Amino acid sequence: MNSTVGIVVVSHSRPLARAAVALAGQMTPGAPVRVAVAAGLDEETLGTDAVAISEAVTSVDGPAGVLVLMDLGSAVLSAELARELLDEGTRRRVLLCPAPLVEGLVAAVVTAAGGAGLGEVAAEARNGLAGKESQLSGAPGRPETPAISEVPAALARFVVTPAHGLHARPAARLVTRLRGIEAQVEIRNATTGSAWVPALSLTRLTTLGVLAGHEIQARATGAGAQIALERIGSLAAGNFGEPTGPAVDPAGRQEPSAHASAASPGIAIGPVHRATPAPRLDDPGLVDVLTRTPELEQRALATALEAVRHQITGLKGLLTRDEAEIFETHLALLDDPALLDQTRARIGDGRPAAPAWAATARETADRFDDLTDAYLAARAADVRAVGEQVLAHLLPPVEETFSGPGILLVEDLTPAQAATLDGNITHGVVMAAGSPSGHAAILIRARGIPAVAGVGAFVHQLPEGTVVALDGTTGELVIDPGADTRQDFLDRAETTRRNGEVTLRQAHSPAVTRDGVRITVGANASTPAEATAARARGADLISLVRTEFLFLSRDTPPDVDEQEAAYLDLADAFGGERITLRTLDVGGDKPLGYLPMPVEANPFLGVRGLRLGLRRPAILTDQLRAIVRVARQTPVSVMFPMVSTLGELRAARELLDEVVGPRAPVGLRVGIMVEVPAAALKAAVLAPYADFLSIGTNDLTQYTLAAERGNDDVAALGDPFDPAVLQLIRATCDGAAGRAEVAVCGEFAADVRAVPLLVGLGVRELSVTPRSVPDIKQAIRATGLGDSRELAARAREQPCADTVREVLRSRPSSGSNQK
Amino acid sequence: MSEIVDVTTLRSWLIRFAGDVEEHAAQLTELDSAIGDADHGSNLTRGLKAMVSVLADGTTPPSIGPMLKQSGMALVSSVGGASGPLYGTFFLRMATSAGECDALGPDSLAAAFRAGLEGVLARGQAVAGDKTMLDALIPAVETLEAALNEGRPFGEALKASADAAEAGRDATTPMLARKGRASYLGERSVGHQDPGATSTALLFRAAANTMIDGEDNQ
Repeated sequence: MNSTVGIVVVSHSRPLARAAVALAGQMTPGAPVRVAVAAGLDEETLGTDAVAISEAVTSVDGPAGVLVLMDLGSAVLSAELARELLDEGTRRRVLLCPAPLVEGLVAAVVTAAGGAGLGEVAAEARNGLAGKESQLSGAPGRPETPAISEVPAALARFVVTPAHGLHARPAARLVTRLRGIEAQVEIRNATTGSAWVPALSLTRLTTLGVLAGHEIQARATGAGAQIALERIGSLAAGNFGEPTGPAVDPAGRQEPSAHASAASPGIAIGPVHRATPAPRLDDPGLVDVLTRTPELEQRALATALEAVRHQITGLKGLLTRDEAEIFETHLALLDDPALLDQTRARIGDGRPAAPAWAATARETADRFDDLTDAYLAARAADVRAVGEQVLAHLLPPVEETFSGPGILLVEDLTPAQAATLDGNITHGVVMAAGSPSGHAAILIRARGIPAVAGVGAFVHQLPEGTVVALDGTTGELVIDPGADTRQDFLDRAETTRRNGEVTLRQAHSPAVTRDGVRITVGANASTPAEATAARARGADLISLVRTEFLFLSRDTPPDVDEQEAAYLDLADAFGGERITLRTLDVGGDKPLGYLPMPVEANPFLGVRGLRLGLRRPAILTDQLRAIVRVARQTPVSVMFPMVSTLGELRAARELLDEVVGPRAPVGLRVGIMVEVPAAALKAAVLAPYADFLSIGTNDLTQYTLAAERGNDDVAALGDPFDPAVLQLIRATCDGAAGRAEVAVCGEFAADVRAVPLLVGLGVRELSVTPRSVPDIKQAIRATGLGDSRELAARAREQPCADTVREVLRSRPSSGSNQK
Repeated sequence: MSEIVDVTTLRSWLIRFAGDVEEHAAQLTELDSAIGDADHGSNLTRGLKAMVSVLADGTTPPSIGPMLKQSGMALVSSVGGASGPLYGTFFLRMATSAGECDALGPDSLAAAFRAGLEGVLARGQAVAGDKTMLDALIPAVETLEAALNEGRPFGEALKASADAAEAGRDATTPMLARKGRASYLGERSVGHQDPGATSTALLFRAAANTMIDGEDNQ
């Protein structure tokens, strides 16, 4: 795992901090160390800022922790206050280091690049002054007081062949190979006649100034002296592990990649960061976890182990053989009898699974740490990695925050979380689970953030900060992309942008099929900002306002005045063109505080939408009053959700008639949502009571296939391309023909592939996110009614969704919108 | 006389403090130029201006803890010098101590000051007599606590506290600086009044002037 310690540089002066970082960066070109600067109040003003420091820490935070280096005075105070401002999890991983800023930074970057832990990086940073001290304490070349005072047991000379001499990377290898050997080893630059320095200190080694062709001399005492010198010899003979040819990125290396579901179009390249900090094995809070029966705790342990095994197995399929080997160890650890027996024994003693596992894993890792063999010592990291992974499954899920810049890596998002994403911070989203038709995906699309979904649990294995490239149009995800792949992705983004400009220019013209049929393209918009976007992107009307936004997260329902004002704001933002207000559509799955509802076993089959409105007519009546008031000022349509019987629709209309009174607002149109198969099949019965029927394909699909969108195990069943859904759309259009217009307002409408299909089925209005309006209009212009009818007829006869897609793919290409 | 300090009064206190510091900015900077880096007046003025603009834009939380926290954060982000984290810590710890409430009684206010003082002690790692803001802050808080314990009226206690802060400020003149930039001067720091203690005395005088009814007539 290449998770390295993050470093923050705190200084009074921003130019000074930047220069120090540049200096340190020179020592380890291309090293994967994240360094953030929190310095100065701006480019010129000297000063330090605790808030900026805490943000810098968060930006480089990762499982390996963060080292903060600072200059003097208030920098120290601000760094301490910054630590206080951090959230608990991050705070535990942050170390404020008293090392001198420049020397400490160089040492810290070099050491962190070698994958050292936080403690070691800090120690080396503090040691950063040592080289200079020894240099200035006497004439160059004069040996400092030797640590090895007795006659060395072994002495040898080696030529240093790497092109850049004994720089950080080869020096780090030297330290690694010598670590754990029972010997005291010192090295000097024999060519320049430098002082002897301890071979285990990276900072001291790099101050020897060993260049290519220089000779180093090593001396050692102790039982392992001979072994130590042999190891240095073999390392020197192997060019200190450096490539012998020109240092190039090995061409043709394999980039692991995955094909996921395209959840939100666009290209994103960047480091992944997790919403949830990984739990720590040494978390003191662990003991507080409540105990269940030992049997249940044993079962929880087994489940967690199995879940991690599943994740790792999934990941291995994407890796090269060498990389996969690492995870063989992890898999083996999950079956390790010593680990498991001891954990089970602790659970048997009455401890909860989480602390029992954490304690055992921690002790095992510590034991590995103490082993002298470097290979075995490295296993400590493996034990900790697996340990924390299992621990995460044993602990209750923690509340997630989404702050860091880059690509957000999550299991799935709740709609609330998706709604708070900021495209300036979150450049892309990778969801291990989830589906493109889930609420989260819909919200992410509306924000224009590229996303892929359903990638698989393996992505949780990716170390924090791993760079990935994703294409939310195709569903491609490439891990650690090389230069070529990056360029390819950037080119795609550029092409998309250019096509988008053309499409946008034409968005304000009506969408007419090749044979002259006008198809209305409306936008879903529930805020003035969205309405403004809808207008900018050429929407013919706002075809769906989800009025729930006004009703959620408050203690009392909005009154008539407040609703009127909010709806008018929307209409204003849309330039006074028609808006379609859907009455409150909630149910037992998202109950309102002021509208208590009994707990239902099946809220999706319970009291929701219009069913709720008719049972609690006060709220619906108030809403209709507000809508009618607005309708007297601007063109408005009202739409009732979740209609399944004629009785419901008539009751709703009676309520509306009462509110309207004798003088109906000019231009008030009335519609219903068709989300229930029963409504689709009874379109002919319902249509006389409505001006339009709007098919909500998301819910219609879910009810037709009896597959809940939020349930990953069945989400794939809920495919809007299923022939059954197409037949219901057709039935709606047939039933409504000549009486009411039919619109489609689910996510299906925004799928360019579905456009000819829907037009062919008889749909004359499509309702999509503002962002999709231009693309959908273009797709309509490429469609011919005659061809589309044939296509729809063939599609309806298909046995399954996959063959429907095949039919769509094989149709003669009629436009540029087919990927 | 009211013994309750509500959120409006606390805002007035902070705004008053900002005004007083700006008024004395030249003096503070002059004091700092004698023994420091001549930026205390300008730094603190800049930070307090940022704080006041937050307080004035009407979005400050209506409850005391969050209001003080927002004020402290604004200060921290714009002071630049050591007074940023020190005053920032003072207000943030006060915020934690006060919590989400609409008003503080005398004892809660004293407890909040005490929490602020403890924060500054921990942050600066200085002690009384080091020639720092603590030389005004410690007597101010201790005098307030003692006066309230003796059952003296709130207004009188606040005045005593402000007086104690000023006495503490004056007492820094002969001291030898042991912390901060001034400590680099060693013996040469003797004979100058400490700028940090000077601004702290302003803080407590502003408290007495705003928290006692009818005192703030200016």
